[in-house]
Amino acid sequence: MLLSTALLLPWVSGAVLVALDGRRRVVAWLAVASLAATLAVLGVLAADVLGGDARQVVTGGWPAGVGVVLRADALGVAFALLSLLVLLAGAAHEAVGGVRSRTFPGLVVLLGAGLTGLFVTADVFSFYVFFELAMTASYALSAYGGKRRQLRAAVVFTAVNLLGSFVFLLSVAGAYHVTGALAMGQVAERVLAVNPNAAILIAAGFFIAFSVKLGLFPFHFWLPTVYAGARPAVAAILSGAVANIGAYGLLRFGVDLFPEQLRLAGVALVVLGAASIVYGGVLAVARGDAAEMLAYSAIGQVGYVLVALGVGGPVGLVAAVLYSVVNSLNKALLFLTSGVRGPLVAAAFAVGALSVAGVPPAAGFIGKLELFRTAIVAGSAALVVLLVVGSALSLVYLFQVYQRSFWRPDPSATGVASPLPQRLLTAVSALLVLAAGLWPEPLLLLSKDAVDALLAVDPQ
Amino acid sequence: MILAFALAAAVLFGSGAYLLLKRDLIRMVAGIMLISQCAVVTIIAAALSRGGAAIAVAPGDAVSDPLPQALALTALVIGLATVALLLALVHRAVVVFRTAEQDELAATEAEHEAGLERQRQADREETETHPDETRPDDIRPEDERRAGRERGR
Repeated sequence: MLLSTALLLPWVSGAVLVALDGRRRVVAWLAVASLAATLAVLGVLAADVLGGDARQVVTGGWPAGVGVVLRADALGVAFALLSLLVLLAGAAHEAVGGVRSRTFPGLVVLLGAGLTGLFVTADVFSFYVFFELAMTASYALSAYGGKRRQLRAAVVFTAVNLLGSFVFLLSVAGAYHVTGALAMGQVAERVLAVNPNAAILIAAGFFIAFSVKLGLFPFHFWLPTVYAGARPAVAAILSGAVANIGAYGLLRFGVDLFPEQLRLAGVALVVLGAASIVYGGVLAVARGDAAEMLAYSAIGQVGYVLVALGVGGPVGLVAAVLYSVVNSLNKALLFLTSGVRGPLVAAAFAVGALSVAGVPPAAGFIGKLELFRTAIVAGSAALVVLLVVGSALSLVYLFQVYQRSFWRPDPSATGVASPLPQRLLTAVSALLVLAAGLWPEPLLLLSKDAVDALLAVDPQ
Repeated sequence: MILAFALAAAVLFGSGAYLLLKRDLIRMVAGIMLISQCAVVTIIAAALSRGGAAIAVAPGDAVSDPLPQALALTALVIGLATVALLLALVHRAVVVFRTAEQDELAATEAEHEAGLERQRQADREETETHPDETRPDDIRPEDERRAGRERGR
């Protein structure tokens, strides 16, 4: 019941809100309210699920195996909570500042519906359907603002990600062909008996599709244009919520469906992750513009998740989940502050910067700590050095921008101060990142539960 | 049968990829459409693991799996919606940019880069000027105070 509510609430309210004029304050705040309500429902669901037993609903009252199964386990609920939180921050940011287009609030809520569905489905094809629902909303969102740069960002984003979606669909077709099943549990069982060549090809297809979403090193080419071109709230939503599709997909499909292939490709993943970290870090140092720097930084940050996933094992997976969560919060906070001017903002940016670099007491420190633990478990000095270098690079590029934008009066950067509520919102987001670092137990517990749910054998 | 489907899907994907790499936005959209059709053909082919295709089956013969036809229909509808959205975006871009060439869109990016470079140049020149020169008007006192505090830390 809770599960259906969490899915239907944003879906229905989003469909209604898209039809209304989003530039009116009432509509914008209604969107924020429906996102908050969804977040509350998911919170109750999370409290249920974190006991360790997944909730399962078969849609339409069909017997399992015929109907589409919705299954909320700790991993899905954790990602859904995180994404909704980021969407809520983005929607509130725009609602305070004044929405510029009719469709923005409704689209954000629909994006929330798509993301929630994708995180709680236990069926490969309905994953694709929700995936496209979320992506379609974000394609339209990326054009928000309607200026030349946003349009160019939207065209690039849509073209590249549609290609990624069809690669995913091709892999779904391949998975169905070799296993004859679409339910994730059944696919996972039957893949073991499949010809290894076919399985590795299908797994590679899924990996490419999710890497495009994440913006990992060889598949990152679209990301700087899009994140730097989109408006700050949209960039926060894309990097903090939509990119979670990639992280969740890699975890779910890699660990649940293709564990054997993931183990085989472990070294390759670590190498790709390392390339992402170095590439993103070095190019971010060379950027002057805050949004572009953050875009390259995003490429570097997802590299850490991939490294943790490549190392694998319980410790590595916990680090991957935790770092995905922390990274989403950091990126959402930094992109939101990049669009705000005035007092309080510099402090919020500094908190975000310290969190990305992994300095205590910000949340990023917890993530980096788990990553170091992963590197030590892997017994690799090279990985430890890589993590240190990556953190040092992120300190350099973030504080370069900090210095340029906040440290000294810069005639080009200081415009009119943003409205106080908007600045307060960034301050609250910064406080949240700080609180997550000062009191990390909930986050750690969530990641551990998520990984336990992931490694547990499916009941189907 | 599967070979025919595989060849059809390969040709569709190849043509789609070729068009996708063109400079013209409309050709790019056509490329994405072809690739989406390639995915649909692959889904239909995925069903041919047993029996013949479910078109014109003699009674008593094994029929192939019907489920992927539902998947193919769903994928077609989703593909239609996303391609429509992409076309709308491209149309909007053509109206705004007055061109359907990728290069000209990228020129906007180059302009933005040049603007940033000018800004950085201005930054550098500003740091080299003497502090007793007149400051621009748009620096507000609270920024001054904040900058002072930050330096004091």
